[in-house]
Amino acid sequence: MLKLLTGLFKTGDATVKYPFAPYPVSPGFRGKPEFAPKRCIACAACTIACPANALTMSTDHHAGKRTWKLNYGRCIFCARCEEVCPTGAIVLSGDFELAVFNKADLMVTAEFTLTNCQSCERPFAPAKEVNYVIELLTRAGMPESETERQRVMLETCPECKRRAEVSRVTQASRHRRPEITP
Amino acid sequence: MIQLDTSHGTNLVPAPGAISESEQIAKLKQTLLKDIRRSAYVFRVDCGGCNGCEIEIFAAISPLFDAERFGIKLVSSPRHADVLLYTGAMTRAMRQPAIRAYNAAPDPKIVISYGACGCTGGIFHDLYCVWGGTDPVIPVDLYIPGCPPTPAATIYAFALALGLLDQKLKARHHVEGEDENVVPIHPQIPLNLRVELEREARRMAGYRHGRIIADRFMHLLGAEEPTPFAERVQHYLDREDDPRLAEIFGKLTDIVLKR
Ligand code: SF4
Ligand code: SF4
Ligand code: SF4
Repeated sequence: MLKLLTGLFKTGDATVKYPFAPYPVSPGFRGKPEFAPKRCIACAACTIACPANALTMSTDHHAGKRTWKLNYGRCIFCARCEEVCPTGAIVLSGDFELAVFNKADLMVTAEFTLTNCQSCERPFAPAKEVNYVIELLTRAGMPESETERQRVMLETCPECKRRAEVSRVTQASRHRRPEITP
Repeated sequence: MIQLDTSHGTNLVPAPGAISESEQIAKLKQTLLKDIRRSAYVFRVDCGGCNGCEIEIFAAISPLFDAERFGIKLVSSPRHADVLLYTGAMTRAMRQPAIRAYNAAPDPKIVISYGACGCTGGIFHDLYCVWGGTDPVIPVDLYIPGCPPTPAATIYAFALALGLLDQKLKARHHVEGEDENVVPIHPQIPLNLRVELEREARRMAGYRHGRIIADRFMHLLGAEEPTPFAERVQHYLDREDDPRLAEIFGKLTDIVLKR
């Protein structure tokens, strides 16, 4: 009996003090994905990687806006978004206190501006993403004259690029025709 | 551009037999939530999850977390319950039993959606046999996200319901500002080298830890300090005292030296 009591006293209180004291999580804990919208380039890599579709994106072509959405109610805390994000805009934190009374409080949204295609002038890609790519090219040592040329390429929508390519090829074959058929 | 799924758990087809509560009951429930002053009896309904959530609920009532110190007790019949805890996505087969459990519990009752599945359907949200979370069928008062929510997250939710703590999470919306441009991470390190380092670290340590380790390595590599790089790495490794980390750092250093 005495042995049991001394054992009990030595062990002390095993129950955690939480919620009356903070609860420290272990290192590597995968808690709430923390989103830094200022670092996001709206590249959509995370929305493709997210296995639960907690991350989604929608594009409003009329307003030229793209909306990024994260639903904590659907997230499975797998950190796939953290893995693929090129800029570190989304990182899993140690925060686990996520319960809410109102479902709308589980949403994080961010709105990004689309840049217009240089030839058809319709919005197609996030301006931040284009700027980020140019920034990368500059840091890789590309001279400014070349990056400006690349900007024209990057700010052309796939459809216009295709059309330009087709007309380039047909032009070229038209020039070549006399040589093929004498 | 294709319009991606933005419905976020709201079903296109309303679930048959969906329940909405009367005003009087809603008022009674508010009083119960505000001023319970007694034990709360909890009945669990698993509507079709993976059972991970059940395991965490039982972890939360274990002596380590001890939800019973707040008077929270699991009961085995909905007729004894004040709180109904719905876990798992609302499957077709469990819709009717879930409604029966709801009707069997005496008013006023509090309904909690537990886990990602309970909140929105979670990873199962787009399955053919799933109506979504709990709320397409039953009115829900409290949502606990997590897959599964850890015992501490469960205790937090109970503390929130009992008014011991405040809700931390709020809806956030950001609109892109002027000139909001992003600088690449570790700008001092050439892109090719960065890709190579991240790839190797992830190959050795897995996708998340690989990235974290590569990040630390590049932080040490890019820092402008008087001490030489090798010394800084050694100092860091001595502090961490982890042979696995030392091996990965060795491989990463080889990559840097090869260039
Ligand atoms: S942690 Fe996983 S489920 Fe959650 S938002 Fe990121 S990718 Fe999606
Ligand atoms: S991967 Fe990162 S930068 Fe790209 S959209 Fe997601 S959060 Fe933004
Ligand atoms: S939320 Fe996650 S752990 Fe809980 S039942 Fe669903 S899949 Fe399983």
